[in-house]
Amino acid sequence: MSAAGVTVPAPQPLRWLRVLVVGWFYQLKMQAQSGFMIMTALVQPLIFATIAMADQQAGSRSLPILFYALGAGIMGIWSTVVFGCGGVISWQRHQGMLEPLVMAPVPFVLVLMGITLGTATVGLYSMGATLLWAAVVFRAHVQLADPLAFTLAAVVTVVSLGLLGLVMGSSFVLYRNSNSISNMLEYPVWLVTGLLVPLSLLPGWTHPLAYVLAPTWGVLALRAAALGGQPLPDIGWCLLASLAYLALGVWLVGRVEVRARRTATLTFQ
Amino acid sequence: MIGGLISYRALFYWISPWQYVPTMLAAPLFQILFFVYLGRSTGVGSTSFFVVGNSIQICSMAGIYGMTMAISNERQFQTLSPILATPSNRLAIFLGRGLPVLITGFQTTCFGFLVSALILGFRPAPASLPLLLVAVVVTAASCTGFGMALGSVGLRVRDVFLISNIAYFAVLLVCGVEVPLSQLPGSVRVLAQFLPLTHGIAAGRLLAAGRGGATAIADILWELAVGVAWAAFAYLLFRYFERSGRRTGAFDRL
Repeated sequence: MSAAGVTVPAPQPLRWLRVLVVGWFYQLKMQAQSGFMIMTALVQPLIFATIAMADQQAGSRSLPILFYALGAGIMGIWSTVVFGCGGVISWQRHQGMLEPLVMAPVPFVLVLMGITLGTATVGLYSMGATLLWAAVVFRAHVQLADPLAFTLAAVVTVVSLGLLGLVMGSSFVLYRNSNSISNMLEYPVWLVTGLLVPLSLLPGWTHPLAYVLAPTWGVLALRAAALGGQPLPDIGWCLLASLAYLALGVWLVGRVEVRARRTATLTFQ
Repeated sequence: MIGGLISYRALFYWISPWQYVPTMLAAPLFQILFFVYLGRSTGVGSTSFFVVGNSIQICSMAGIYGMTMAISNERQFQTLSPILATPSNRLAIFLGRGLPVLITGFQTTCFGFLVSALILGFRPAPASLPLLLVAVVVTAASCTGFGMALGSVGLRVRDVFLISNIAYFAVLLVCGVEVPLSQLPGSVRVLAQFLPLTHGIAAGRLLAAGRGGATAIADILWELAVGVAWAAFAYLLFRYFERSGRRTGAFDRL
């Protein structure tokens, strides 16, 4: 912004928003061209959706096909988050980018947040793919009961999963083999958050775990919006979870940054 | 065998306990639990159907990924050219790498059965146990043969792990691991006959239910034939890519 030759710095929130949007867009472009991410966000959810829908058709209990299509879609978003965000700091370090990013005159957490939100957004591929698959291959009647609420629920779910990715990325950095934690975390979260299996079938002790994980509320909101129900309370819980993840993520990233500066390990693998 | 063991120590990513436990034990265990509960939710099969299917299928994690690492990582780490410059017998190099992977796959499946017995109440028929173990060894060997073929493709293709990932998840659907074969389209059922796991799992389910006999033995032999065919195909592929790689200098292009 300039007036009469004098450069007026943009207000801080706008600068932060710009950093976030640019980081998000850059990450989205980069991940959308990664073969591994396409496999994780497209092929894998389609395989799981097919398994669940085929079992549903062969089985004796029947839930709507859309129940499984939406669950498999969020499974894909979770996978992209687990693999794309779990090693976010380690990856920047590996590429020699951690020092410049920490030195940049914007909060480091905003840079990371752009990356994790961009990665979670790539997961939306899986939602579209599983819905299309359900309609074309399994002849499901895909008509959303409340398209507006569905869109809102999808956006809130992606944001909350991206922020959960921020928490994971900043905590996994303390563990050298973060990739193996990512390998381990796919199935348990798919299971306890009720993405393909109703929560009522799981042991009671798993329910508190489900309540603190955003995919639980995200899938409930999406199902309510798609199949008919009250999506707003679940969207609200998803937003609340997002705020908690944001607070935790900001705190964790700050701790990691200070610790790495103090011990001069920003560039160490 | 010594070469295979050394290559396993050097090239198998998940060999350290910090990697092995989460990737080769915890993740497969959660896979079993996930599909057992999915099966209960849809009412498509018994707990035993999913325990046997998934416990045997998880041996393919070592077979598919392990063999891909054992062959194509030589190219990634730029050690392939020196190995191929040696006069060593190619078949010995090739098969030596399969043995540690086969043992790892066998261990993973045994772990799956053991934990399923402890937490899911899985009880295979005691009289069938020896033959069930034979079925597991044969299936692990056949997955290793399949993995050899994928690893050989890595001598030519740059991102072979993408193919390995797709293969690992595709067998869940195609080989009757999670969906009864009778529910799949005819063309998929035909394809499944020529993939590892299909017959090993069918034999495992019969044996676990105490209905072994000639059908289970025939399935084990069929699984063995599939594994041998994949290993032979993999060896031919390896030699072909070796020759063409020498000609084009592809080994040093990453």
